Amino acid sequence: MSWEDGAEDRAESLRRIKESAAQARYDFKRGWKIYRRSLLAVIGLLMVISISVVSIFADDIAVEHPGRNLQDTRDVWHIDYEPRKAAPFSEECDTRYQKVSLTELRRWDANGTNALSPTRVADNNLFYYDILVVTEFIELQNRNGVTLASDLVTLESSNNSYFWISDELIENNSVTQIKLVYKFENDAMHHWWLPDGYDVCIFGTNDEGQDLFSKILYGSRVSLTIGFTVATLTVIIGTIIGSISGYFGGRVDEVIMRITDIFFAVPGLILALAFVAALQAVDNFTIPLALAFLAPIIALAFYARSNIIEVFMPGSEGTSFSKLNPLIILGIGSGVLLLIILFDAYRFWHGIFELRDTRFWRLLLSFLAIFIIAGLLTLDKRLIDNFTTDGFSNRALNVFDWKNPYRYLSFRTLVIFVASIALFSWSGNSENEIVIIDNFDRLWKIQIALVFTGWPGYARLIRGQVLYVKEMTFVEAARSVGAPSGRIMFRHILPNAWAPLLVAFTLDIGGTILSASGLSFIGLGAEPGAAEWGKLVSDGRAHFPQDYWLVLFPGLAIAYTTLGFNLLGDGLRDVVDPKNRR
Amino acid sequence: MKTGEFIVRRILLLIPVMIGVTVFTFAIAQIIPADPAAILCGERCGLVDPVTGKTMLELQRERLGLNEPVIVQFKLYIENLLAGDWGESTTYNRPTSDVVRDAAPVTLEMALFALLMGYPIGITLGILSAVWQDQVFDHISRFLAIAFVSLPIFWLAMMLQLIFGTGPEVGGICDPIFGTEGGCLPIYGRHDAALTYPDRTSNLCDTAITGIACYPSWYPSGGTGFHLVDSWFVTDEALANIHPDYASNSKLFNDTLVHLVLPSFTLGIASAGSLLRYMRASLLEVMNEDYVRTARAKGLSESRVIIVHACRNALVPILTILGFSIGGAIGGAVLTESIFAFYGMGNVAVDAIINLDYSVLMGVTLITAIIFLMSNLIVDLLYGVVDPRVRLE
Repeated sequence: MSWEDGAEDRAESLRRIKESAAQARYDFKRGWKIYRRSLLAVIGLLMVISISVVSIFADDIAVEHPGRNLQDTRDVWHIDYEPRKAAPFSEECDTRYQKVSLTELRRWDANGTNALSPTRVADNNLFYYDILVVTEFIELQNRNGVTLASDLVTLESSNNSYFWISDELIENNSVTQIKLVYKFENDAMHHWWLPDGYDVCIFGTNDEGQDLFSKILYGSRVSLTIGFTVATLTVIIGTIIGSISGYFGGRVDEVIMRITDIFFAVPGLILALAFVAALQAVDNFTIPLALAFLAPIIALAFYARSNIIEVFMPGSEGTSFSKLNPLIILGIGSGVLLLIILFDAYRFWHGIFELRDTRFWRLLLSFLAIFIIAGLLTLDKRLIDNFTTDGFSNRALNVFDWKNPYRYLSFRTLVIFVASIALFSWSGNSENEIVIIDNFDRLWKIQIALVFTGWPGYARLIRGQVLYVKEMTFVEAARSVGAPSGRIMFRHILPNAWAPLLVAFTLDIGGTILSASGLSFIGLGAEPGAAEWGKLVSDGRAHFPQDYWLVLFPGLAIAYTTLGFNLLGDGLRDVVDPKNRR
Repeated sequence: MKTGEFIVRRILLLIPVMIGVTVFTFAIAQIIPADPAAILCGERCGLVDPVTGKTMLELQRERLGLNEPVIVQFKLYIENLLAGDWGESTTYNRPTSDVVRDAAPVTLEMALFALLMGYPIGITLGILSAVWQDQVFDHISRFLAIAFVSLPIFWLAMMLQLIFGTGPEVGGICDPIFGTEGGCLPIYGRHDAALTYPDRTSNLCDTAITGIACYPSWYPSGGTGFHLVDSWFVTDEALANIHPDYASNSKLFNDTLVHLVLPSFTLGIASAGSLLRYMRASLLEVMNEDYVRTARAKGLSESRVIIVHACRNALVPILTILGFSIGGAIGGAVLTESIFAFYGMGNVAVDAIINLDYSVLMGVTLITAIIFLMSNLIVDLLYGVVDPRVRLE
């Protein structure tokens, strides 16, 4: 078969793609018509869009990076550290208290000091201070906060950054430290969307003098990332498990449903708590090398309609592992796992795959894996049937034969080969494990915990959908023409069962943001000082209820985002509701 | 199917789930990166026993059976569990079963009271919303339903504290209305400070030492742990010598009740939100049934049709949500307990995780599962009573 022979097929598939695009456009228009009927849904959509835009442009809207601190009162002399909270809409944001140690001045024989910014770390990792331009000198205090005569300190008229301290103060040895209160020109703190002169910190500052507004803006990135990652992963896992359960039914279904029962029996948050605790000592997320080595081989073995079977079981034409009862596969798999875990076969197991931590061994192993995978692929009946010539060498050559319509298939195999070489030989540096997530920080842990606790809900949802769609005539038709289970599942059932999934996905983003912030609030989520909303609320708790804004605004941000996604999901529910399909 | 058979079948169905939950808690304890033996022997781990020549750590490991294969350990765990030995808490230095027994009623009382507050709100709004379908009130209450479940519960708790528990200089609203000082509702603890810790000096209530055994001194020795119940039944004589201001149990009961209002309201709001939606949907479905049409055709007044004929039937499916709501409320309690200084399971679980106290963590997970399964069982049985069709399945 040559490339030209397939021209008709390709034209046909292009036509189908165009047709389905037109259908999608029509569906979208009709869906939007239903969606915009509900004012709440439109508001929800706007809320989601606004929070997404905010998270994308956080760098431009925020006035300071969450790691930096413009009002930090740590000063040059390292006397002590007195953070300052400012209330929302106060203009204190560009006022600064600066402590000056007179003893230090005396030692350096100086009688003046610059108005300086807090410490900053430059690109070369050195500390430095910006010299601030003072707009107004407010007052002078002694170290106990008592106001002194302000003429003891004068602002240099030619240089608005330099204070002259009078001889009277310098020579009075009983005064060791003074405090300067001044306003400075704070362009960095100015929001571009506020009129000139309104250099206010709109949400106030926290106990370290950091701008709360900026922190909340950056927090939206964390929350949205967690929401989307967790919801996506849960949907994938839940869909796979739920559709297996619904499609195969019987004992498989029974076992999976009992497992979800167990998950439902423990409140999600307590389960997530326990799981985060269990992950506490894990620094990076790795999988055992043995698993990575075996997984693709096992997967391919199940997937391939292999010639091996025909060799060993003549007469069983077209049998494959994938046609075996999934319960048997499940049983064998879990049996092996149980044996390994329960009877300390783990050590023995470990011994088999004990490898030296050298690249040579990794490479050797990867080539071994590739040979086995390639062998399985070569023996794959489906692929061989599609070629005029058998054999590995020809298949390899076909990859570079641009006239061959099946080259993409071969190309994919080649990509898998290369990827597995890369995975085996260059990833990670621990002895027997492959690193999946290098920096497995606490945010990752809560994400994994939420995925772990979230999938049963989806599994049940999808199971119900699959049970419903399974009975429809088109599925029966597909089965009667001999379509394999996988194809029926992914091509016929799931595309018709996605609608409630989309709604659940949207609602789940909101729910995840809520749970993640709850975990952070308890102290298991984000690292201390991180710009995460739940963490901000829990940081603000120490100053509650006097400085209520530290709790109010981050909480409002959580509520706003969650409400947005929930309203969006509610609107989508109306769109996908069969009652509205006319 | 007869009622007895139905009940037995429902209970038998619980057994595999219960086994699954124990496997689950055991697995969590296996993964938690804490060596229970090392925690138990503490500084003496390195000491060598002169008789056996083994270190304390090794002896401790042998005693706990940590050198056995996992399957044997699991057998040991189940045996101990059935014998009532839930392990020893390393944080509180008390048996875990005691810690859990003290903590569970606190959370349960809060959760039940929360449902008591949330359900009327949810059901009323749901009914009104369905009656006035697609009118302004319906839109508002549907928005409220979504808003209620979107509010972070810990934040809501603190905002309620701010509004009802502080003076106007901070942000409270109570003082000008009710003439109170510093807010009208208490925001911390289960009792007035004078009552809760009458003998603070004796360290009885120091959680670091005795766990959550923070009994007020009136606490009867055979009490249920539900302070609403206990304070109702405690005798005046027992109270007389504790605090002159609380010499009668009605005062004590009121005090307990008032302290429950804010925490329960916080928890109740979330369940009210989801309940509102279910109630609305359920009632709308029932309103299309034939018997409602018949009732209307009989010429009954609309209010009678809705209250007597529609609502009674619409409430039946709502019953199923009750079981789940209790689970949800217990989950929410984890977040609110620390804010309101209730020493229930939430606080205990968080403490256990921070201190890697694996036996308490297992105990709390297990007891929440038991409570959840039991409440669902009761709800299912009730459902069978209310709607006999269920039993036929």
